[in-house]
Amino acid sequence: MAQGPVQLAPGLISFLKSLKTTPADPSVEHLISLLKRRQIRNSRPCAIATTALMLRVVGEFKGRDAAKLVERIRQVGRRLTAAQPREVVVGNIVRRVLGLVREVLDDNTGGDSHTGSDAGHHTPVHHDSMTRPTLSSSISTFSPLRHAAAEPMDASMASDMSDSSELNRRPPLLTSHTSYAPATSAPLVNSLFGLFSQPDDSNASTPTGAASPDGKSAHSLNLERLADLSRSTNIDLKSEVMDGIRELQDELEQSDEQIAGVALEHIHSNEIILTHTASTTVQKFLLSAAKKRKFTVVHAETYPHDNTATHGILLTGRKRETRLDEDDDPWKPLTAAGIPVYVIPDSHVFAIMSRVNKVILATHTVLANGGLVAAAGAHMIAKAAKEHQTPVVVLSGVYKLSPVYPFDIDELIEYGDAGRVVPYEDGEFVDKVDVEHPLYDYVPADLVDLYITNLGGHAPSYLYRIVADHYRTEDITL
Amino acid sequence: MSGLVEGEAVAPPAAPLQAPNDQAIPAAPAKADPKDAKPVEDGASKKLSGAELKKQKQLEKQAKRAQAKAAAPAATQQSGPPKEQKQKEQKQSQKKDEARPLPIRRRPSQSNAVPQQHAKRDSKRDQKNLGLFFGHLYSQPRQHSMVGASKDVHPAILALGLQYSSYVICGSTARMVAMLLAFKAVIESYQTPVGTSLARHLTNHHLSPQIDYLRGCRPLSISMGNAIRWLKDLIIKIDPSTPEAEAKRDLVEEIDMFIRERVTAAQKLIRDQAATKILPGDVILTYASSSIVEQTFLQAHKAGVPFTVVVVDSKPLFEGKTLARKLANQGITVRYYLITGASHAVKDASKVFLGAHAMMSNGRLYSRVGTALVSMLARSHSLPVLVLCESVKFTEKVALDSIVGNEVAPADEILSEAERASLLPLEPHLPTTHPSKNKSDNDKSTAEDAKSGPLDVLKWVEGSENLHHLQVLYDVTPAEYINMVITEYGSLPPSSVPVVHRLSTNT
Repeated sequence: MAQGPVQLAPGLISFLKSLKTTPADPSVEHLISLLKRRQIRNSRPCAIATTALMLRVVGEFKGRDAAKLVERIRQVGRRLTAAQPREVVVGNIVRRVLGLVREVLDDNTGGDSHTGSDAGHHTPVHHDSMTRPTLSSSISTFSPLRHAAAEPMDASMASDMSDSSELNRRPPLLTSHTSYAPATSAPLVNSLFGLFSQPDDSNASTPTGAASPDGKSAHSLNLERLADLSRSTNIDLKSEVMDGIRELQDELEQSDEQIAGVALEHIHSNEIILTHTASTTVQKFLLSAAKKRKFTVVHAETYPHDNTATHGILLTGRKRETRLDEDDDPWKPLTAAGIPVYVIPDSHVFAIMSRVNKVILATHTVLANGGLVAAAGAHMIAKAAKEHQTPVVVLSGVYKLSPVYPFDIDELIEYGDAGRVVPYEDGEFVDKVDVEHPLYDYVPADLVDLYITNLGGHAPSYLYRIVADHYRTEDITL
Repeated sequence: MSGLVEGEAVAPPAAPLQAPNDQAIPAAPAKADPKDAKPVEDGASKKLSGAELKKQKQLEKQAKRAQAKAAAPAATQQSGPPKEQKQKEQKQSQKKDEARPLPIRRRPSQSNAVPQQHAKRDSKRDQKNLGLFFGHLYSQPRQHSMVGASKDVHPAILALGLQYSSYVICGSTARMVAMLLAFKAVIESYQTPVGTSLARHLTNHHLSPQIDYLRGCRPLSISMGNAIRWLKDLIIKIDPSTPEAEAKRDLVEEIDMFIRERVTAAQKLIRDQAATKILPGDVILTYASSSIVEQTFLQAHKAGVPFTVVVVDSKPLFEGKTLARKLANQGITVRYYLITGASHAVKDASKVFLGAHAMMSNGRLYSRVGTALVSMLARSHSLPVLVLCESVKFTEKVALDSIVGNEVAPADEILSEAERASLLPLEPHLPTTHPSKNKSDNDKSTAEDAKSGPLDVLKWVEGSENLHHLQVLYDVTPAEYINMVITEYGSLPPSSVPVVHRLSTNT
């Protein structure tokens, strides 16, 4: 009865529905407008929508030209990220899909006769350095100069700066067939690890220093090579990539369960756990622990932007926005599992913290340096926990891990409707006072003790490695 | 403490209830037992053991079921559980019972509750919130009406008590001054009964009930305690030979003097000094609202110093909104954040000015909940944190955490009217085991259900047995977050608080 109007409301569900019937291009437009209007928001819905769209885009791609496919995905990705740059997850998914394409190519051009089905199994999650052809690696990649240029700079800036000079200096030969990638701005792989695990990222013949990262010229060159390669080897690129994307979808679906699976390793009985916002990941994590153990949850309500969802999730086990989404997968609220939940206003965090054993935070995005962007209030919670020496655990699917470096933190912070803070009926107040409503906080890496992703637990300092595993350096700039 | 109250309250109401509740009477004391044990245990150990938890849960469940049934008018005839429930309500002591017809709370979030529901909620809340964290603070039910007050209580005090409990008069200085002014009225209309002396009778027999009433409305602030101690001291020292009229006049004058010296003059000194700390271009962050901080801002603004104020505010009372409005009306540039945005607010600030509820003798600041967070963030940004506090608010008490001594705020006010309304659409998703769900299934036709308003949301919250809402009013800021305390005695580090306290009480 109440579901009629809800289904009509534009959002993730309506998008997924329309995606079945609409061709790719209008769907891209559709998603862009949904993102712009914030009708799809938060990491998870964005990720699901983007993956579905990518599947469609790849599915409708005509021809066998890998370079064109890469270019097409890139172009869609650029538009999507431009539509809502702060939903970093969109970019993450696009990069992972790009990585898939390159992987399929890699596998097929690596000399051995990979069959399609074989290559399809190489999802980003599982791929490790061993599956890559280990060919020429070059020390030159790691020269300090290059390192400096690659690391601290925003990739787009770097490419702007180096564009012209690079064209001339780049050596015309790319001898090795794996070296189509001129080691673009790679924030993290340029370490000693990279020496052995990612040889194919480096450009064998790049002279030191001269090779500043990325550039259009380099790109086009690469793409030509890609095209050559794909033409020469007759592979079923499209279906392999689509298989990969489907596995990505599976990963999205399962990540919560996988994270919840390790819950018992982290929660002992009679613990007092503090969390905030309505996060399905955290709720499932706690629920899975609640099956075996008794503990107490203190829940900061995240007023004003997420309090409704928080109260909703505690009362009924679901947020309003995911109502239909979750209908096939109903789960009880934490309280029904016999876990006492204390809802506190956010200002009480410091007062309560002395009793808390563990802080579990949900996140919006995890950044490459181990910091995270999470719902507003996360920073003060993490900081208060640090002051009380309480461990802070962050739960995050790998899909939220992003290669973005937080050089400009303010860029990542979204500001919401000030009317939620002070209602607009209070016109006089709103007129005279600057009411601000930041939606997200940046939490520096040193306030976090542990990350739990669907791959397991990691120290914040190790995250860069997982980023390097999941994103190809050449895709970091879309 | 609460056990005692419950214990004696259980017996009398049992009498009017007739025969069929034989099993209810033994049930009630049995019930009371674990509950009595609980606060004690909370204080001592961190957690209840599993068995006890289970037991308590069972009891709670029982009670809840009983309540759900009792709520349905049709079900009242049933024996057993509903009776038990009635007892529960009456257990709340006579006062509460009488409080029922007159819910005078006028907080914005409070809707015009049907009185009966109100009382039920109170009783319920008391059982539930004997919780993990602030269980020891729930011993005394709050009084929200003048009904049931002792007949000795002066009308001025009655009015004041209501203003306290509804947070109309809020802030420790304001409350103290208002109390002293009301005491003036009390003293003026006071007549020493024959056979006693003013010094003896006024303190013990006349002021005490007034103070008790005020305490019942809202726990006394530290400053009020200080002022009361001072006043009693003063009265006791009155020479019995002094004529009554003269003694009364002296007392009233002394009270005026006290307010002038310890509050008005002190505030002037503090704001003069604090205003010099505001330099052109400063961005001053403040949390919630403090009258002295406000005066300081206005003073600096009048002096023509260009500066910006960032007001951080938070939920229980939204006091900062009033401050922001006042400052903005005076033409000061004001930015307003809620506490969730505090880490952003701190970024742009250059100094932090805080008001105080009290300064503890170990240098810690006892102030509106959230202050600790703000000063923690300020410290991590290396901002100077200045506390503006009259010496009247200094206390010899010490505190290490915010849990031992605190004041509970009504927990159902976590959800404002608007929030409750926005939660309403969730109704179909409530778990089927939910008591309120069962109830609405049972009697769809009753009047109570017909208007499914925002109040229902509160019932859901109460109904779900493990969900607790928790709200307190204060927290304790560690001394190391505070760089300077500005008092009328000068500016000092927090470690000097006990010294100043001794100075101010000795002179």
